[in-house]
Amino acid sequence: MDTTAFLQNVSNGVLIGGVYALIGIGLTLVFGVMRTINFAHGDFTVLGMYGAVAFNAAIGWDPYAALIVAVPAAFLGGVLIERFVLSRLVEAPPETTLLATLGLSLIIGNCLLLIWGPEPESVNVSYAATTIALGPVRVSVVLLAAGVLTLAAITALWLFLSRTETGRAVKATASNRLGAELVGIDTRRIHSLVFGLGTSMAVIAGVALIPLLFANPTSLGPIFTLKAFVVTVLGGLGNVWAAIAGGLILGIVEVLGTAYLASEYRDAYGLVVFLAILLLRPEGLFGRTTKRA
Amino acid sequence: MTRIWIIFAGLAVAGLVYPFAMPGMLSVAVTVLLFAGWATAWDIAGGWCGQVSLGHAAFVGLGAYVVALGQVELGIAPWFTLPAAAALAAALAWCWGRLTFSLAGPYFTLSTIAVAEILRMVAINEDWLTGGAIGVFISTLPEPFGIDLFSREAQYWMALAFALGTIALVAILSERRFGYRMRAVREDENSAMAAGIDPTATKLHAFMLSGALTAVGGGIYGIFLSYLEPHVMFYLFLSVQIALTAIIGGRGTVFGPAAGAVLLVGAGEVFRTAFAQANLLIYGILILIVVLFFPRGLVAELTRRIARRRYARSAQSE
Repeated sequence: MDTTAFLQNVSNGVLIGGVYALIGIGLTLVFGVMRTINFAHGDFTVLGMYGAVAFNAAIGWDPYAALIVAVPAAFLGGVLIERFVLSRLVEAPPETTLLATLGLSLIIGNCLLLIWGPEPESVNVSYAATTIALGPVRVSVVLLAAGVLTLAAITALWLFLSRTETGRAVKATASNRLGAELVGIDTRRIHSLVFGLGTSMAVIAGVALIPLLFANPTSLGPIFTLKAFVVTVLGGLGNVWAAIAGGLILGIVEVLGTAYLASEYRDAYGLVVFLAILLLRPEGLFGRTTKRA
Repeated sequence: MTRIWIIFAGLAVAGLVYPFAMPGMLSVAVTVLLFAGWATAWDIAGGWCGQVSLGHAAFVGLGAYVVALGQVELGIAPWFTLPAAAALAAALAWCWGRLTFSLAGPYFTLSTIAVAEILRMVAINEDWLTGGAIGVFISTLPEPFGIDLFSREAQYWMALAFALGTIALVAILSERRFGYRMRAVREDENSAMAAGIDPTATKLHAFMLSGALTAVGGGIYGIFLSYLEPHVMFYLFLSVQIALTAIIGGRGTVFGPAAGAVLLVGAGEVFRTAFAQANLLIYGILILIVVLFFPRGLVAELTRRIARRRYARSAQSE
């Protein structure tokens, strides 16, 4: 095996895996705190992609600058969805929220389809083909930017969760909702906040991906959602650090599978790993072993 | 019980009269009937037994491909390949259920998406078997008793038989021991076990029956389209459409899924001109409304309200 090519593949896998991790973290945060499986998560990533396209087309700024508008908008949208849809379903059986978010996914995807039509969209940036040599491997600037953005978002989230009072309230709500309420935490507010954070993470990932991938309105959302599930199930749902590891594993598995096995099955590798993990270790690779309910 | 069969007889008569009353609108009717059958079949596992699958397009695709490849590659007539497709689908459901029924609720749902997506990728990439992304074209079909299976009339009768047969089966099952077993497993697996029911076997049988019936509809769908593409047959949104049709109509009811098919395919036709390809928008909006305001489903909620009003009136007159 050619070592340079192998390192090249691994570095690409790590960088793309970082973005998967970013998508997965939003999903796992929402699940960890709210016990809600958000089927529309990937559609928020697609919304981020289209946000960057629209921003770029409207005022001609760099697509990454769309973050200034997209992140607050995504946060607000997430909070509103939690307030008006999900908070009404807290007592309902778990698949009810899955169906509600599936409905949201269909609404987002088809509204994008109505606005933009079915043709794939992307942005042209002058540095799209530029690469930087890092030792023996060459890394494309857009992939590197995606990696930096991922790192920044994850660090910010980590600082928020561990260093602020509100962040600790989020963690308290995740570990025991009733207990959190007993010590005076408004868990309904925390739920809205967490869902807003989740959608923001998904949108950041979308902006990071747009110079790399074409956005299309309906079919890309579920693909991202599935990838996010693969990432979170790999790590164990509800565990943010494990989601990072899960994202990196998925990225590397996909890139190596494409390079050394069969490239047509790129999206299948993750799904096979997903099924295997679900069946053999439902608590995730890094999850604590607990009895299944 | 008798009321169910009176409604069923009404539906059957409507189905028999329809092609003579509206001969120009047969394509829509075939779509309605196929979705009615699929949603009713989905509901055996998803509604009666509580195992929500978002991967039923895998069974549709399997049925369609078995019938099409049987005809095109081997020259075997559809009436032989349809039962074969049902048997294959049951076998697939058995393996699939064996693997995934250890998972609870939402995890099962997620795993069904993964299984169906993997099958879709196989159908796209294994072109020696499936014709790959280009697809399979059914150019000739045998003509039993001189009936042209490519004609919309013949396809209408096949789809009607499929839909009515599936509904009748569910109506019978709902009163049989198996129907009660499925409901017991849906409500509480532990209590079901305490009552001597094997939940895994019950779920497995429900899923096999559901898959086999869906594959029969898939075979008819293949003949109806006469051109098979993996992107259409194994489409994730087809799975979503089948599941949402049943849930919006009313899970775990005999006629709810079929009523959902009439409502949703009808709405899809009405809005097709307005929304072009975005006709799934209506599914998204309706499922949100159902989940938030009518958790039993539209049809089930409606019949419940009628029954309640009738009860109130009879109580008043006494």
